[in-house]
Amino acid sequence: MTVEIILDILRNDAPRLVAQHLTIVLISLSIAIGIAIPVGILLTREALKPHANKIIAILNTAQGVPSLAVIAIFLKFLGIGLVPSIVALSLYGLLPIAQNTIAGINSIDPGIIESARGVGMPKRLVLLKVELPLALPIIMAGVQTSAVLVVGTAAVAQLIGAGGLGKLIFTGISQFRPELTIIGAALAAIMAIGFDRGLGALKNKLTKHYA
Amino acid sequence: MSTVRYFLKNIDKIVDYTIEHIALISVAMALALVIWITTGILIRNREKLAGNLLGVASIIMSIPSISIYGILVTVPGFGLSRKSAVLALVLYAMLPIVRNVYIALNEVDDGIIEAARGMGMPERQILWKVQLPLAFPVIFAGIRVAMVMMVGIATLSVYIGERNLGRLIQQGITRTHMDMVLTGGLLVAALAIIVDGVMALIQKKLISPGLHLSE
Repeated sequence: MTVEIILDILRNDAPRLVAQHLTIVLISLSIAIGIAIPVGILLTREALKPHANKIIAILNTAQGVPSLAVIAIFLKFLGIGLVPSIVALSLYGLLPIAQNTIAGINSIDPGIIESARGVGMPKRLVLLKVELPLALPIIMAGVQTSAVLVVGTAAVAQLIGAGGLGKLIFTGISQFRPELTIIGAALAAIMAIGFDRGLGALKNKLTKHYA
Repeated sequence: MSTVRYFLKNIDKIVDYTIEHIALISVAMALALVIWITTGILIRNREKLAGNLLGVASIIMSIPSISIYGILVTVPGFGLSRKSAVLALVLYAMLPIVRNVYIALNEVDDGIIEAARGMGMPERQILWKVQLPLAFPVIFAGIRVAMVMMVGIATLSVYIGERNLGRLIQQGITRTHMDMVLTGGLLVAALAIIVDGVMALIQKKLISPGLHLSE
């Protein structure tokens, strides 16, 4: 009986909700990467470097703000639906990537940058050919953290109408149908682990390429 | 403006919710400390077991917190009670605490342990007088992460009947009372930041200057 219900859900609802969840995550993650890496790079440039520590301290504190709080704060200004969910998720996913971009670039031996400049590389090339490739493993670790966070938080974003696997989970809770919650949770966990493993493999591949 | 008005009008309820919020995470943290620090100590020399346990912990971590509550509610003996909320929080604290205890204990310089053994310390004393004190900064860092995380995860326990700051968000959403939601969101955010700040202060006080983690 229960098995039939589970199979039924897996056949009928799950594919659509997984696709929806994946879309939300991919869009939010892309926006987060698109903003966080340039901002991180800017904060490691000479002009802004003196302020970087303060900004990193603020980012560290902001990372502690719970996801539901971020979603709740945005709700007042953006209303409900897909767009506010994506805005909140992107913002939430931004911090680990920005932090790691800054940490990655700052951890490069100054001697290496000095010698790149010494052989006559313009600043732009130093950034693109020296700094970014060397910082890549740490930046990718940030993307990995962020992806896992966003997959989990996207489930909570169902509260403001994001859709996705959160729908199964919350329906299961409010209707006391544990099988829905368990399926939703399992699929979300598998997705999170998939992102973690996939990005980890990508990181290893990219790092090998540059090493 | 209307949010401030809402806050002032409901200050009594908000104070109650805040106390409930802190009470819940305090109980969960006390349990988590006992269980997970002991676990970390017990697995310190068992590499394979540690790998498996940490694997389980990271899987738990990747399950969205709301669904852990949803699942626990259906477990006989737990149900819609504080027990479920506490257990969920304890489960989420597993990864940061066990991992940091395990890593920190194993990162203590072999030479130091060798020296302690050479002076005739029994294993138990080496653990208590050498390894644990040296590992303490890293262990505390894990506890701090777990504590801040708990503030956020506790928010979602309102869906299984807890009454804390998350209730403002939950009720606000169902009633489309945006000031209520915003108040809840800001208060939860503030609580997380304050908890983090307090933990940072404790960290400064407790850890000897020679052992401070470089940030």
